[in-house]
This record gives sequence, structure tokens and C-alpha cells, in this order.
Amino acid sequence: MTSSIKAPTLEEFRARAALTGLTLTEEDIGHLHKGYVGLLGLMERIPQRWSWAAEPPQVFRADE
Amino acid sequence: MTDLTTGDLTTLSIAEAGRLMARGDLTSTALTQAFLARIETVDPALSSYVTVTADIALNAARQADMEMGGGLRRGPLHGIPVGLKDIYETAGVKTTGHSHLKIDYVPAIDAETVRRLKAGGAVILGKLGTHEFANGAMTPDQPFPPVRNPWNTAYQPGGSSSGSGAAVAAALCMGAMGSDTGGSIRNPAGFCAIAGIKPTYGLVSRCGIFPLSFSLDTAGPMAWTTEDCALMLDVLAGHDPNDQASARAPKVDYGASAQRPIKGMRIALARSWYEDSGAALSPDMAKAMEDAVRVMRDLGATVEDVTLPDIRDYHICGRVIITTEAHAIHRRDVIERPEKFGYTTRRRFQLGAFLSAEQYISALRFRRKLQQDTREAMRGYDLVMTPNQWGGPEIFEDPAPIFHFLGKPSLSMPFNVTGQPAASVCCGFGADGLPLAFQLAGRAFDEASVFAAGSAYERATPWRSHRPTL
Repeated sequence: MTSSIKAPTLEEFRARAALTGLTLTEEDIGHLHKGYVGLLGLMERIPQRWSWAAEPPQVFRADE
Repeated sequence: MTDLTTGDLTTLSIAEAGRLMARGDLTSTALTQAFLARIETVDPALSSYVTVTADIALNAARQADMEMGGGLRRGPLHGIPVGLKDIYETAGVKTTGHSHLKIDYVPAIDAETVRRLKAGGAVILGKLGTHEFANGAMTPDQPFPPVRNPWNTAYQPGGSSSGSGAAVAAALCMGAMGSDTGGSIRNPAGFCAIAGIKPTYGLVSRCGIFPLSFSLDTAGPMAWTTEDCALMLDVLAGHDPNDQASARAPKVDYGASAQRPIKGMRIALARSWYEDSGAALSPDMAKAMEDAVRVMRDLGATVEDVTLPDIRDYHICGRVIITTEAHAIHRRDVIERPEKFGYTTRRRFQLGAFLSAEQYISALRFRRKLQQDTREAMRGYDLVMTPNQWGGPEIFEDPAPIFHFLGKPSLSMPFNVTGQPAASVCCGFGADGLPLAFQLAGRAFDEASVFAAGSAYERATPWRSHRPTL
């Protein structure tokens, strides 16, 4: 499960944001931090352990 | 010729107008003029159109009349006035995505879907408002005013195909094109009391439509009735070698499928999604849903509770994929021209920069698992039935949340994740007069069953005779 990824503090998130190449205001960073932490919480539902060969579809086809 | 009034003309269904034109009792020119006049009178209160192409429409209508007068009938949309969500590239007509970034963009060629509509004789009335690039909420910092809900202009029409939903409901076009990546056809269709279908992923070409999320984007029709959506899909469906997700599906007569009885049809009711997920339907929506199930049973269908994967699984799976792919698509612009985006759109597109490759791939793997688990749960059933929305639309003046996915799980996302066809069907109105709707989802490429059940429900209930007062 992706819960192993610890939610970053605002300071940690700010440091990471500096590496994204995005031009961000303090307000942007505050909103994005809140959104990312919320998304991370929801992502606990996505299994993290998969068979190493579990290949996702390259182009998703509903009729496959 | 008939002596229909302008009001009568604009509330005809596509099927009815087609029959009248085939008999020579109605001209496309008269129909188009009626819609253009109504747009001029009514749309200032709704802002559903961002561009009206009156001259182009009238020329196309005269051409259709000439052809039909000469005995040429191109199909069910010949002479029918329709609108296009403003992410559909339209030759010689501004296609803005409701964004400052594309405010002067005039494509040289049509999207494949637009080409098919024109080849089928449809009359393009203009371009319709959308959430910016089919993703951001409508905010005051965008180039066009936000679209309002025709049932009550103090409410939002839903999105992202907002103009499409509002224009069809307000009788400002007979059908409209929308797009659906996480519910963007079904959401406004439900909140505007019209019909709309997200076709199976790969059935309708996306070539020439602004992308949001490559592996989830679908294009589809919205109209007043489910039968009209079927007639539109008859023209739209088909393989396109220029869309790498396009499927080679057998040709189906969708219009005919809308007349099929549903006696003996088996419907899986996804009750756990709306009763056991920690979120609750509004009392009006809960009652409307139970009533709709009863109607389906009265029509001869078997409706049984079936346990599908948890709705929150689909919700987050789809959201990670959309967030990541949308960032990849818009990355250059959010870096170089962030001020050109609306403030909500910009942040939704920026968020993907923080997701890792591993998180994205896990979501893709999870999607395949959910697709397989859903198919297994549906074994023995033709359709899945579930509410389209938790309750009524949001109030117009309330600011849209920047990250809307932090609220209740999306009831529409499951069928984007699985790729199945899913339609929104109006099932009444709340005590506040605002529309309610449920969804019907079929197996991949079985749009025919969706149309059969949706149309049967509409014929058995009075909701298609209610129109907003404007």
C-alpha cells in the first residue's frame, strides 16, 4: 500500500516543489500541499505490491 | 408544412424532427432559425455558448434542405442543429478550451467527430462553454462567463461539459457533444435533466479534441432523450486510425436498440456504492433511486443488489491517472505561462508534478484489477445501475473547491476506470425543483443495452415532458 509514503510537512513539500520546475507562489504551495497530502491519504487504497511482471496496459482497451 | 411555433420547434426531439423533415413537413432552415432566435433571447441568462456560428449554421441548413428536397437523406442527424463543447477542433472557428491560453486558436481542420457530424448533415450552431480544458472549475479569471443551470440560474450546471448540458436543457440546440474523463458528460447531464452517454473507451474518436487524460478520455453525445443520444452515436461511432485507442467494434444500429423492450434484462444494483461508502445520498435522490428501481422492475427487468469493488477504489485510481496525465499534457504551459490558467485549473494541473512514476504505474495496474473485478461481479448481468449524483448541483456563487476529489467519491468515475459505456438518465426532481438522475452502465461495447433500458425508463415516466422555464 502507498501508505508507506509519509505525508510531507509544508517545509518538506516546499523543498520538493523547488525541484519540480514549476513557478509557484506561497499560496500555490499551500494549496498544493493540502491537495497532495489529501491525495496521498486516498492513495492508501491503491495496492503497492504487485507481481514484478504485472504489466499495465500500454494503451488501455476496454475490449481486451 | 407544419404550423409549429418556434417554441414547438425547439422542443422537438431529434427523432421527431428527423421524421418531420423526412416527410417534408419541416425544413432545417426553419428549425435552425428557431434555435438561433432562441439563443439570442435566452442565452444571455445562461452563457452556455461561447461562440455562435449563425452564418455557418444557416448555410448548412440550406444545404441540408436542398439535399433532402432532392431525395438525399444522410442519416438521423441530417438538418439537425447541434452544439460542440469548445474543446472540439472546428475548422475556421475559434476553439478555446474556455481558456486564455487558446483564446485566438482557430483550427484548420475538424476533429474526426465534427467531420462525422458534418458528413451526417448536422448543422453546427456554435461552441459551448466548458470547464477550462475540461478540468478546472469555472472561475471569474477565465475569458468567458461561467455557465448557469437553466432549471435555476442560482445553481451550477455541473461540468465539465457545462454549456452542452445547459444548452440542451434550455432548448438552445437539439444535441451537443461533450467529453467524459471522470464524469464530465454524465455530471452536467444529470444536473440539467437531460440524457448523456459516455461511450465505451475507444468507440468514438478523440482525434482533434483537446486531451485531458489520454487513457481515460472519451467523447460522447448529450441530448434531451436517450433515444436522441443513440441516434447521435449512430453517426459518431467508428474506427479512426488517427486515434491510437480507437477500437474496431462491429457496427450497431443504436437508434433501433432504443426501441428494444427490456423484459428479462438483468440489472446489477450497486447499492453498496451509495449506502456503504461513508457518503450519503440526499433524501430526494435516495427516494428517486428507489422509485427508478421499481420502474425498471415494472418494465420486466430483474434488479438485484450486487457487490462491486469499493467505489473509493475507482475514485482514487482514476484521480491519480487524470492528475498525472493532465500534468504531462499541460506541463509546459503551467511552467511557462501559469498566469494564463484559471487559478483552480492551474493548481489541478500542477499537482501531477508531485506524483511519482511508481504511483502512476500502481494506479494503472490497479485499473486493470478493477476492470477485471468489475467484469467478474457483472457476470450474469446486462447492466449496472447506480445514482448519477449524490444530490443537487452546487450553488453558483459558492467557490469551487480547488481539489474537488477530496470530497465525496465520484459516482461516475467507476465507468471511466473500467472503460464501460455509462449513461445518465433523469429520474425526477427534488423538492427544490432541481433535477435528479441515475446511471446505467453496460458491458464494453454494449451501448445498445444502455439505450434500451434508458429509453424504456423515459417512455414509462413523465420526466421528458418537463422543461425549464426561461
